[in-house]
Amino acid sequence: MTPQYGVAIADILAGVLDWRMWERLGSQEVRRRYRRTALGPFWTSLSLGVFIFTLGILWSQLWKQDPKVYLPFLCSGMLAWSLIATIITEGCSAFSGSAGVITQLRFPYTILSCSVVWRNFITLFHNVIIFVLVALYADVPVTWSSLLVFPALGLIFINGVWVVTLLALFCSRFRDIQQIIASLLQVSMFVTPIFWAPKQLGERLAVFVDYNILFHFVDILRSPMLGQAPAAWSWGIVIAGTIVGWMVTIAMFSRFRRRIAYWL
Amino acid sequence: MASLVLENVTVDFPIYDSQKSFRSALRRTTGGLIRREGSPGHQRVTVRALDNLSLTLKHGDRIGLLGHNGAGKSTLLRVCAGVYDPTGGRVTIEGKVSPLFNTAPGLDMDDTGYENILTCGLFLGMTREEIAAKTPDMEQFSELGEYLSLPVRTYSSGMLTRLGFSIATAIDPEILILDEGLGAGDARFAERAKRRVDSLVARASIMVLASHSDALIQAMCNRAILLHGGRIAASGSVEEVAEAYRKLNQATDANPALSAGQLLQSSRA
Repeated sequence: MTPQYGVAIADILAGVLDWRMWERLGSQEVRRRYRRTALGPFWTSLSLGVFIFTLGILWSQLWKQDPKVYLPFLCSGMLAWSLIATIITEGCSAFSGSAGVITQLRFPYTILSCSVVWRNFITLFHNVIIFVLVALYADVPVTWSSLLVFPALGLIFINGVWVVTLLALFCSRFRDIQQIIASLLQVSMFVTPIFWAPKQLGERLAVFVDYNILFHFVDILRSPMLGQAPAAWSWGIVIAGTIVGWMVTIAMFSRFRRRIAYWL
Repeated sequence: MASLVLENVTVDFPIYDSQKSFRSALRRTTGGLIRREGSPGHQRVTVRALDNLSLTLKHGDRIGLLGHNGAGKSTLLRVCAGVYDPTGGRVTIEGKVSPLFNTAPGLDMDDTGYENILTCGLFLGMTREEIAAKTPDMEQFSELGEYLSLPVRTYSSGMLTRLGFSIATAIDPEILILDEGLGAGDARFAERAKRRVDSLVARASIMVLASHSDALIQAMCNRAILLHGGRIAASGSVEEVAEAYRKLNQATDANPALSAGQLLQSSRA
């Protein structure tokens, strides 16, 4: 199939720039999910909070760690992980879940990708309250490095858009991929250093950390939350991932964008 | 100036075997060794919905699409809306398109009427300010009153049609694409819809309307085509095409087993 680079790039630019539209779709979806609940999106925060509190206390005992060190580490890691992992899992249905509008209207599909990413940022903003509580309890320092959360969030957003676009494209054609992604992510949560620190792993298994792109995405957000600067290696991997990811996405999207409506 | 040109448009829908979608594709890409030419597992099944169809619509055209179920009306509408990029041929769409199929694009059943006015309006390319400015007009035309503050799942199908039609026509479209859904409104709504479309078409634009009902098309259109088997079976004034449609119906009733081509021949005779 001949690639239509112009069409794909126009879609991406128009979609990303139409922030009013994806802001609306994202926040409306959050509102819809929690309609008629008392806590709204704070339900996610509450369940995440219970998880972090109980496991944090338990595991800091098991591994003989100071809860004031372990709890903030676990909490910031879990917040970053749930942001990234939910973007990936929900990304799979970004197009198939909007089949109605895709088969009715011509519009930039990347609006749908951005709205999935934005929806999860809204959840993250609610979850931050748990981290604030943990940080107050554990006296997490606020330093100049803390400001690095902003470029980290920016990079996660930019990467989220290509990840969602690419996965949504594949998943609208191959419905099995969603299941594969879900199982892979489940394993990845334990393989990626979220519950344990990278240095606990030792030299031999360091590949799980050094070449695990998910770890680097978690780390660029987690380290600044803990008042530390992320390693240069992490920034490097994330930026390389951004470039390669977008190139692959543009290549695929320009070939198959026009087929998406047929697949739904 | 709006225009809509279809040149030799063909649309083939792929049919995927849901059970082995991924496995068979894996085999196709990885299975150079086990490939068996023409074996059932490797055949690509497609359904041809539009077959080498050409059509030119210009300013002021209000065209009705007549045809039986499966004749290709909805597919043609979706090609006109730019939803399906045809598998063969070319489509050139110039002008702001506003489609109205069963519901307004982007409609969510759990949202209220007002929330949907905003979402659908944004999807159709309006700004929040434009939507706010047009809301009184939509309130007035839809006649939904207090219902606009309720979730649209509580609406009857006629009310949904009224809401969708209000939104679709509020954006001052240059190309208005309407599916049969319009039939869900009552007689009074049909009359008001006709007047609203008349005023729209006076201001701009092109309308494409698909329906089984030749009465609706006679009321709202100034030309028509009859689709059969993805091809244009008749084209011309609304009366001529409605007549061809009646003949086609009679021919189908008389001999349901005939193929598309034979039916057309006997309906012309």
